[in-house]
Formats: sequence, C-alpha cells, structure tokens
Amino acid sequence: MNSFITIAGVVLIGLMLLVLVRVIKGPTVIDRLVAVNVIGTKSIVLLLFSGIIFGQLEMFVDIALGYGLLNFIVSIAASRYYQHRRCLEQKGQPS
Amino acid sequence: MEYIAYILIVVGLVFFLGTSIGLLRFPDFYTRMHAAGKGDTLSTVLILAGCIFAVASQGQMSWLLGLKILLIINFVFIGSPTATHAMMDVGERAGAKPWKKKGGYK
Amino acid sequence: MAELPIWQYDTLFLIAVVLFGVTALTMQNLMSAAIVFGAYSFLMCLIWTAMGAVDVAFTEAAVGAGVSTVFIVATIYNTGASAKPRKPRVGFKLFAGAVAVATGAFLLSALPDFPAWGDPKSPVNSTVAPYYIENTIRDAHVPNIVTTVLADYRGFDTLLETAVVFIACIAIYSILRVDSAKSTVDEPDIIAAPPAYDPTDSLIIRQASRIMVPFMQIFALYVIAHGHYSPGGGFQGGVILGASVILLCISFDLKFVLRQWTEKKIMLLTALGVLIYAAVGVACIFMGGDYLNYNALDPVLPGDMAFARYYGILLVEVGVGVTVMFSMIGIYIILASNGRFNRGL
Repeated sequence: MNSFITIAGVVLIGLMLLVLVRVIKGPTVIDRLVAVNVIGTKSIVLLLFSGIIFGQLEMFVDIALGYGLLNFIVSIAASRYYQHRRCLEQKGQPS
Repeated sequence: MEYIAYILIVVGLVFFLGTSIGLLRFPDFYTRMHAAGKGDTLSTVLILAGCIFAVASQGQMSWLLGLKILLIINFVFIGSPTATHAMMDVGERAGAKPWKKKGGYK
Repeated sequence: MAELPIWQYDTLFLIAVVLFGVTALTMQNLMSAAIVFGAYSFLMCLIWTAMGAVDVAFTEAAVGAGVSTVFIVATIYNTGASAKPRKPRVGFKLFAGAVAVATGAFLLSALPDFPAWGDPKSPVNSTVAPYYIENTIRDAHVPNIVTTVLADYRGFDTLLETAVVFIACIAIYSILRVDSAKSTVDEPDIIAAPPAYDPTDSLIIRQASRIMVPFMQIFALYVIAHGHYSPGGGFQGGVILGASVILLCISFDLKFVLRQWTEKKIMLLTALGVLIYAAVGVACIFMGGDYLNYNALDPVLPGDMAFARYYGILLVEVGVGVTVMFSMIGIYIILASNGRFNRGL
C-alpha cells in the first residue's frame, strides 16, 4: 500500500506541474487564479498522502482540513477584487 | 478493502488527468473553467474517499479520523464549486467573449 | 517508520517550489504575482510536512497561504495592480547579482560542517532534546512536545512574540488610520469612486459563507484546545478564527461587519490577549513563585503539580489565540478600507 501511495503522489505532482504551465501561460489573470485554485485543492490530497506514508494520519488531517478552508478564502478574495474593479486590467497595463 | 482504495484512487487520478489536459488544451476561458471546476472537485472527492479505505486497510482507522476526512470532503465539495462560480461571474462581467468556431476570441 | 520513501517527494517538491518562485517573480501584473506567491507558500508547507515538522507546516499553511495573500490583495485594491516599469540599469543589476551570489556562497560554505540529518550524536540531539523527550509527560502531562517547549519551557519567548504581533497591528493602525473628516489628501479616481459591485448580487457566495463560517470557528477552537495532543495551538487557531471573520468581510460587505466589530472593540480585544498571557505570569507571582512558573498555581487549579502546568499552558494558548485573531481582523480592515473604516474590499 505504501509504494502504491508513493507512486500515486508522484503522478499527482507531475500533473500539478502540467497545471503550472497554465499558470505561466494564461492570457488573463483569471486563468491563473483558476489554476492556482486547482493546485491548492490537490495539495490537500498530497498532505493526506504524506500522512499515510508516515503512518500517522491523525497529525496531518488537521492541517489538511485547515488548508481546505483557507483555499476557498483566497479564491473568493481575488475574485471580489475584480468584481469591485469591474474590468480585468487597467488600460494599457500587462496582464 | 485494499482493492476499493486502489480503484477509487486510480479513478480519481484519471479524472485529474482529464482536468489538467483540459486546462491546457481548451481554447477559451469558459471551457477551461468547466474542466477545472467539475473535474477537480470530483477527482478530489474520489481520491479522499480512497484514502479512507487505504487507512482502514492499514488498521489505523478510528471514528474521529473517518469523520475528519468526511469533513474535508464536505468542505471541498461546497467550497470549490462556489469559488469556480465566483470566478466565472468575474469573467462574464469583465466581458470575456466565448470562443466561436471560425474566428478565435478577442 | 522504518524506511520512508520520501526522497521522491522531496525532490519533486523542491523543483516545484523553485519553478513557482521564479514564476511569481517574473509576473508583470501584481495580482498574478500575489496569487502565485500564495501557491508557492503552500508548497513550502508541503516541504515542511515531508520533513516531519507539522506545527511549522500548519502555521505556514494558515498564515502564508491563507491570510497573507488576502492582505496583499487588499493592499493592491487600494494602490494599483501594475508595477511602474523602470529602465534597466545593467551595471547595477550586475553588482546586485554579484552581492547575492557572494552571500549565497558564503552561507553554503558552512554546509559541510552541519551534522547529518537526524544524527542522534549531534549536540542538539544528545543534550537538549533527550531532556524534553523524556520529561515532558512527567512535568506537564502534555504529549505534544512542541507545545510544551513553546508555552512552558520557553514561555518568555512566546510572550514576547505575542507582543510583537500586537505591535504589528497597532503600528499598521497608527500609520494608516485616517480620519475622513479631517483628511486633505486627494485620492486618485479609481480609489475614490464608489465600488461598482452590489453585494446582494451574489446569493451563492453569501450562502456558502453562511455555511462555512460557523464550522471554521468551531474548528479553530478545536485547534486551540487540542494543541496539547495534535499539531496546532494558540497561533494557528487564532489565524483561522481571524480568517473566518475575514471571509464574512469578503462575501458580505465590509460595512456589514463593521456594524458589529467596531474599531474600539477590535483594538481593545487585541490588547486583551497579551494581557491574559502577562496576567497568568503575575498570578504566579501572587501565589509565591517566579514569573510564568506554573507550578506556583498548583493550589488553585485541580489535579497534581503537573496538571497545574497543563492548565497554565492552556490559559496562555487562549491568550495567544485571542491576540492573533483580532490582530488579523484589525490589519485586514485597516488595509482594505485604506484606514477609513467605512468601506472596502
């Protein structure tokens, strides 16, 4: 079971690096925000995988629960900023 | 018990593979949000459910641990689609145009 | 934990961290840089869990990847999202690069002198650490060694760190607080214009926040109280409590929260936490012992001498949690409303 979880974790990090390409390439800011949200959600899963490999999942579940709540706040704050500003970027500035 | 964990984690990883390829290759902002919002949430829920069975097969499960992982599933299930909705709302107000077949966008 | 297959994770995490850091630095738009920096913070948390330092990882996840990113977004809301381009001065950049490389090489030259990872014969692990590992349960009945070291064996340091968080909050308050009636500063149009967004439009976000905020607060109280047995403690619980009220500020309007949490309440309650911590020490003096020596509280608290230290640690963790919670709320409201306490992000 431990080796299977290790392989699953390595595959997961590899796929997260694919999402990083979207962070770098995304033409608008909202694309980057979506990709960072996906990376944050998958990091919760990675925390639990580390917990299973260490054999002490009770320690890591609290951190995962805390981060699940905070990931939501960052996405909502960033989108609220753009809702107030009403446009994605000011005239002539890069994205 | 182990086989349920294997199946759930592998199916979750397959959905996440679909999500990341979709994020890379879709042509438009709105279609990428579909890939990210739905695929990401579903794959996380499946992998976390697989983790419950994995811990149970290692013999370290207790009621509190199972309840906490169910709470994580609950918060991801509520929070991640709401965040996707908020971002989609922003994109629509800012005027991102949908992709049309023979013209690209913007 | 016989043979941990952890080097695969460590290598990949380190590569990902470097990639994210470089990406965050080369973004032109400041909002993009802030968001990527939040993701970078969380990968640092994963590196610390791979090393086994779970308390540090919890603090980094709560502060770096959660609240700190929201502070940066609130600051950008009031200033602007694009950095002014400067013309590249090649000579200066070469000089700065040479200084950075020289400093890095100087620090790395000390690397061969470090003891091996987890070596039981290193000076720390052979003199100081065994005392803590063997005597924590006997002295204070608390299984979490990190919490005992923070709040009992090294209690003065934690008292002064709590005071530092308090000082940060009042420093930001004293610099940025502006009385609207007397201010004569002209703000640019993009800041002085009323917000274009009516918060009653977003029923879904408001409803999801209504569901999540009570659970966040109960979870944060659990983290403070359960810090004796699991990673957590006062600081992490306080940050999550502050983040729950910040979620209310974001999803509802800031004016809605300012009706309940007025300026005077927030500032007084920030001071209350430091007062609780210091008052526990003074109570120890009244009972006849030294400052912050919880053994002296034994006649007042139930249980034997070790349980007096257990409850003493719990009281100071509550004090730390209260200060950190209201500092986070205060700093966010000041940053988001540009010091005016009327409207904001």
